Amino acid sequence: MISLPPDQELLLTGTLLMAACYGAGALSSLLALWSGRLALGTGHLAALAGAVAGLGVSLGVLLGDPGRTLTQPLPDLFPFARLSLAVDGLSAYFLLVISVVAVAAAIYGPAYLRAHSPDAGAARQGAQVFALNAFLGCMVFVCSAGDALTFLLCWEGMTLASYVLVVTDDRDGKNARAGLLYLVMTHGGTALLLVGFLVLTERAGAFDFAALRAAAGGLDGATRTTLFFLALAGFATKAGVVPLHVWLPRAHPAAPSHVSALMSGVMLKAAIYGMLRFGFDLLAPVAGPLPASWGWTVLVAGTISAVLGVLYALQQHDLKRLLAFHSVENIGIILIGVGLAMILWRAEGAGGALATVALTAALLHTVNHAAFKGLLFLGAGSVLCRTHIRNIEELGGLARRMPWTAGLFLLGAIAISALPPLNGFVSEWLTFQALLGGASRFHGAAGLGIVFSAAMLALTGGLAAACFAKAFGVTFLGRARTPQAERATEAPPSMIAGMVWLGALCVALGVAPGYAMRLLDAPTVALLGGPGASAVVTAQGPLVLSTALTLPGTDATAISMTMVAALLIALTAMAWVLRRGAWNAAPRTVPTWTCGMSPTARFDYTATAFAKPLRFVFAALYRPRREVTRETAGTPYVVRRIHYAGEIVDLSETQIYHRVERGISRLSRAIRGRSTGRIYGYIGFVLGALFVALLLFGVGQG
Amino acid sequence: MTGERPLDLVLLEMALLVLLGPLVTGTIQKLKARLQCRQGAGVLQPYRDLAKLFRKGTVQADTASGFFRTIPVLVLAATVAAGALVPVVQAGPPAIPFGDALLLLGLLALARFLTAIGALDTGGAFGGMGASREMTIAPLVEPVLMMVVFSTAVAAGTTELGALAAHRGSSWILDWHAADFLGFAAMLVLLPSETGRIPVDNPDTHLELTMLHEGMLLEHSGPGLGCMLLASHTRQIVTLGLVSALFFPVAAYGTDVTGLLLGAAAFAAKILVLAIYLALVESSYAKLRLFRVPQYLAIGFVCALTALALRIL
Repeated sequence: MISLPPDQELLLTGTLLMAACYGAGALSSLLALWSGRLALGTGHLAALAGAVAGLGVSLGVLLGDPGRTLTQPLPDLFPFARLSLAVDGLSAYFLLVISVVAVAAAIYGPAYLRAHSPDAGAARQGAQVFALNAFLGCMVFVCSAGDALTFLLCWEGMTLASYVLVVTDDRDGKNARAGLLYLVMTHGGTALLLVGFLVLTERAGAFDFAALRAAAGGLDGATRTTLFFLALAGFATKAGVVPLHVWLPRAHPAAPSHVSALMSGVMLKAAIYGMLRFGFDLLAPVAGPLPASWGWTVLVAGTISAVLGVLYALQQHDLKRLLAFHSVENIGIILIGVGLAMILWRAEGAGGALATVALTAALLHTVNHAAFKGLLFLGAGSVLCRTHIRNIEELGGLARRMPWTAGLFLLGAIAISALPPLNGFVSEWLTFQALLGGASRFHGAAGLGIVFSAAMLALTGGLAAACFAKAFGVTFLGRARTPQAERATEAPPSMIAGMVWLGALCVALGVAPGYAMRLLDAPTVALLGGPGASAVVTAQGPLVLSTALTLPGTDATAISMTMVAALLIALTAMAWVLRRGAWNAAPRTVPTWTCGMSPTARFDYTATAFAKPLRFVFAALYRPRREVTRETAGTPYVVRRIHYAGEIVDLSETQIYHRVERGISRLSRAIRGRSTGRIYGYIGFVLGALFVALLLFGVGQG
Repeated sequence: MTGERPLDLVLLEMALLVLLGPLVTGTIQKLKARLQCRQGAGVLQPYRDLAKLFRKGTVQADTASGFFRTIPVLVLAATVAAGALVPVVQAGPPAIPFGDALLLLGLLALARFLTAIGALDTGGAFGGMGASREMTIAPLVEPVLMMVVFSTAVAAGTTELGALAAHRGSSWILDWHAADFLGFAAMLVLLPSETGRIPVDNPDTHLELTMLHEGMLLEHSGPGLGCMLLASHTRQIVTLGLVSALFFPVAAYGTDVTGLLLGAAAFAAKILVLAIYLALVESSYAKLRLFRVPQYLAIGFVCALTALALRIL
């Protein structure tokens, strides 16, 4: 037996274990021939084992020496390319993010699928188990791919497996349409990626990333920027950046809830991984800062996504669709950090440290978003499997029937609204600090742009809080508005266990974020080559987060989430004593005051009414459409019935996609008008097109 | 680093803010009454109200969930914790890092979020209406507040309030830049909104057409309502403390007892100035329609953006 260095051995065993687990999970779908229930159980168990193996590998790499890359050749499947895995800090970090949510999803999944669709056939259960394991396996190997071919194959596998999961639960044909849109959009994105990769591989003559990196070193500026924007557009489609997000709010809610958690919490992050890999690693110039257009494009796209994502989420009344729009928002927040890091990277003076802060903020928000969005989707899934209703207007009063689910959903809501002391606040605080530092570095319009982005981030946080006050309040509080909500019972323990795991992460990352900075060292060092995250952010010990806005050495802003959490707990205890009052009498229970009428569920404030003031304030962006029809009895003063219909349109859909669609239809009608139906005409056309293509190719070669 | 505040001083300052909070409300009420040619209740009336509420029993709506009873506790805790982040008697960062202006705004936002949750819990239309309006105004105020903080933070290189106050030192209006004036103007526009006063909100009424914050408290009673009211008083003085830390001068009085007393007196004077401003505004303006409020806040936004632009350009 050849003895390998311990790192190499870790990677080899880890990847073998993961591949074996996910493979076994996928194969266990065959058990569905015998019993669908058994297939569900074994498949999810295998996925859990794979996720735990993933946690092991990623923690092993992240806690080891930062700045090294472990490589592992794969068997030669193709004569023209060597396949390999390469795990550096960045890969390991995203592996960690994937595995963290995968653990929760694997615990949550079997009980959810059984409770949500008890009448599902064994074939569907088998397909779901197969696709889930394939999905997880492909995501893991996208992030640890060492060459373009492995990356693209796994990327495609990821898309197809998630497509299968989106369309498995199809009752009315809606999901099939959502899946088709998803497939078309992401394949458009993949096509752009393919072009980017092929240009590089053609220059390098090989597929592995090291060769691509070397080939990119000799590129001229224009080609480099074009390639970056190709890749950016490809990844942005997958990440759901506005205006390429239209598939996301349709496809994510259609999948089973634990898969929605994986798609929103993790799959979008694979696209972020791709952007970071291309921007900072493969396409980065050998020395000197990145072209200014890269970072600014990412920053502006991120800001727009964050604001529009949350604004559209605010007007959604489908719980899972609302959460999907919040993914658009959070991807935007991550991209603000990424864009800022691109702008500041390799800048002189304190810029390097600031770039580290910005990238740390983005990466921390990546894991934070995975944790709280996973938690929220699982919570929504618990509601869904007990009531089979996604429209929050028809729910209500669930907090008393599902206390655990309600409490955990509230925890996730506080975290996603960027409120202290939970994790969402920490990463937004770091983003704000990075933005402020960037603003004080750049004078003039650039600085003002960065500050404006910070103001938009603040707006985003406030709107998210409003949105989740609505979502939580209307779903879980007040009175039940339908019999289904009236009959709901608490979710099974295994589903709650999956949520508790993510909820605990939200609390831990919020109260003691300093300890997580250690894990961020490897990715920040691997990408930026400067100081690691813990050296910059936790310079004053693990319990204190600090950043210097200007030069290092001057007054650094320091906060301690741990101290604030301890203070909050102490004050809560004191306030509790105060709350008990002098007598500690049991409260008298009476009906809610409704101006003397007998209270019914119709007195509850609805989600539409709750969001209405903001619909007015942002009417320019919403373009709300409302239709009120009155049915009167002869005279206009006696109204029999009023019918109200309101709708919010997605601006990018009406302004971009519908126009493109109309253009294509017009063009095809024009072509149809010119069609003669004679075969030699078409042959002539094809030959002519071929001639022109060859001519262009010849000109390009010459 | 000058004037590092030890932990016990920070906690003392926090307790001082909680204790003085009702007094500020009482003073504003008294001033308003005098401006309206009324005698008005004494300045200690809020304390009497609180003492009465804490002696009472609780009446709770039958639709309320288990969260309802904990909401006042959490709201009070979050608001008081925000008080620990405001420098009162001394400038300078705390010896043990606590939090900065962003964390302060975050804690106040947490309190507001939980209040809205509590309002929705009872399933009445008033609570929902109050919550909806409050959560409409809050996202519009927060970015502007944040920009005012940024406009001073960019100059000082930190967002820690104690350090910001120390950076301003004892210099005042004569040393101000145009950006300071504009930032202060933005803050004056926002102040009635953050403290829940006319022209944005009306603290004196329970009429459903006018109220924002009060609407969310309707279903609370007894000690729970007492906690919510104490949180409102504390929130008001914390907001005033934020303004005074950002814009008013801080003299270095030393850390002995006389120095601390002098610092406390100076703080009281600054708060009194802002309280008089609030009373004047409340007595001389009518409440705006809800959908006029965004336009009113836009004045603050323009001031804050211009202040920032002047700082950065």
